[in-house]
Amino acid sequence: MIVFKTYFKILNKLKFPIILYTSILIFFSIFNMQTSDSSNNFIATKADVAIINYDDYKGITKNVIEFMKKNNNVIKIKDNNFNLEDALFYRDVNFVIIIPKNFRKDFLDNKKPIIEIKKTGDYNASLAEMYLNKYLKTANIYLNVTKNEEELINYIERSLSNNTKVEIISKLDTIALNRASFYFNFLNYCILAGFIYAISLIICSFKDEKIRKRTIVSSMNYKNYNLKLLFSNSIFALILWLFYVLLGFFILGDVLISINGLLYFVNSFIFSICALSIAFLLSNLLSSKNAINGIVNIIALGSCFLCGAFVPMELLPKTVLKIAHILPSYWYIKNNEVIKTLDKFNFMSLKPILINLIIILIFTILFIIITNIIAYKKRKID
Amino acid sequence: MKSIIEVKNLTKEYRNLKALNNLSFDIFEGEILGLLGPNGSGKSTTINCILSLLNYNSGSIKIYNQEMQPDAYNIKKDIGVIFQDIAVFEELNVYDNIDYFCGLYVKNKDERKELIKDTIKLVGLEDFIKFYPKQLSGGLLRRLNIACGIAHKPKIIFLDEPTVAVDPQSRNNILNGIKKLRKQGATIIYTTHYMEEVELLCDRVIILDKGKIIASGTCDELKELINIEEKVTVEGIDINKNLLKKIRDLKNLKNINNHEKTLIITYQKGKNNLIKLIDFLKQENLPYSKIYSERPTLNDVFLELTGKDLRD
Repeated sequence: MIVFKTYFKILNKLKFPIILYTSILIFFSIFNMQTSDSSNNFIATKADVAIINYDDYKGITKNVIEFMKKNNNVIKIKDNNFNLEDALFYRDVNFVIIIPKNFRKDFLDNKKPIIEIKKTGDYNASLAEMYLNKYLKTANIYLNVTKNEEELINYIERSLSNNTKVEIISKLDTIALNRASFYFNFLNYCILAGFIYAISLIICSFKDEKIRKRTIVSSMNYKNYNLKLLFSNSIFALILWLFYVLLGFFILGDVLISINGLLYFVNSFIFSICALSIAFLLSNLLSSKNAINGIVNIIALGSCFLCGAFVPMELLPKTVLKIAHILPSYWYIKNNEVIKTLDKFNFMSLKPILINLIIILIFTILFIIITNIIAYKKRKID
Repeated sequence: MKSIIEVKNLTKEYRNLKALNNLSFDIFEGEILGLLGPNGSGKSTTINCILSLLNYNSGSIKIYNQEMQPDAYNIKKDIGVIFQDIAVFEELNVYDNIDYFCGLYVKNKDERKELIKDTIKLVGLEDFIKFYPKQLSGGLLRRLNIACGIAHKPKIIFLDEPTVAVDPQSRNNILNGIKKLRKQGATIIYTTHYMEEVELLCDRVIILDKGKIIASGTCDELKELINIEEKVTVEGIDINKNLLKKIRDLKNLKNINNHEKTLIITYQKGKNNLIKLIDFLKQENLPYSKIYSERPTLNDVFLELTGKDLRD
């Protein structure tokens, strides 16, 4: 009991950095809640288009302009080359259509008149170009059917009015799950920094050579003593993990009362065990408390940045992600990213998560083996 | 007296170096045994072997007639150790530190409370129980270190140079504390290179050099060994070779050392050596600033036996 009691007395002295890590987590999670946007509503975007018409505003010319107006934002720009280039450069418009004189007549005579275009090259410009091409292709097809302009316009309008309705059929609360994923990704930092900082420093105190000698000469069974230390570490890890789970409930709400929530918990729990093994390894590798203080942020922040805890994985360079494969944080964060997209739960959908969890456990076993080898070598030197 | 620790033919080697060379001695119940020797003589190695902190190559160590082993917890419960280096938790205050180390031996909370109270009183840390080690002076820290080693009231106490770098007040406190512990019935093994502490405290002394016992016995017995009765020091004297030769011819004189206007003369047994020397100096009209006579110290014993100083 005295080992357990003393462990928590020392922990009490180290509480401020853990409170700091947790405060950062709360701050960023709440900040993320304010800024995260919706992804279960679909609003089609419109490109900014300028239309310069040298033809008469009638018939097929009028119809093509109306179609472009309907599907894009039409911006009025004075008709001179300098103005048009300026508008494109400053992105006032994405796309410029210049309809030549006699376009209507030439088109109906099947002379294939050319509509001159200017574009910025971004995806809005491509969208506007796609609309224009769509109109012209449809018009050309129906021109083979009829030469009557009124009939032709009717055909074109009927054909182009068949809109595709986009409906998101997933029942996932993506906003909430995105927030949950952000929270659990950020938790990577808190768990790693908190565990390494507290556990390594406490073990460093207990395993200090002078104190260790005093313990060895005492009448406490040394194996029992080590077991008590292990038990104290495990209890601390469990309490901290449970605290973060409860904090998650408090910040994220009901979204965690789901199978996705359960998977987040399992993932963070397995990762906590791995973080515990990293802390053990470091406390065996380093004997100076100053070195531990320094290395906490290198490991915690380093793996967070490399593995996509702070910056989404999609935005990280491929080389960085390849390097990240050697870190357990990568597999933990990867799992969070998979969990947020899951809405069907069967073996096939859970398989990638299970594989990632096994990889984290393999890392854990590896760290424990290395720790034991180091401890054995140290004992041999003694 | 009953022997409680029995060391026989203890040998410890570090590669080619023999740290302990066939050491044999007994420690008797209730005595304070001094292990005296210069740095590297094997004092701490001997203690570490007795405590099973170090493996040894040959020999045997028995405590209470039982072979001492790393898992001899029934023996360890009666042992208290105060190492040379301060071994306390920086994160715990004085009370919690003593509580922790006492708790390694005593499970009962109430019993422990009483023991801690007694120990704090014994080492004089009553006013500092809420202090953290960083807030304590070197001397107070040493007292805390001692308190952590003796709080469980051990029957055998190993003290490895407990007064190194300690102020005189704390030193006296520590030495008085050791005397009190002996009065309470503890057997104490005290290693140091401060011979005055050994002379003040120890019933028996073992002098070690290069891992060997070169002499053992009470302080008086050891001094008898070297056949020196008196040591006379004359300070501030300027003496030439002729006069030095004349002094050499004085009766009972064993050795003479003239260095930086200080003359140290050792005498074999004999009476009135100091008076005879003063008379000689008066007769030769030799001025000096100070003259005094001393009984030989353990350092003289060590010097005589090994040809070098204890603090070399």
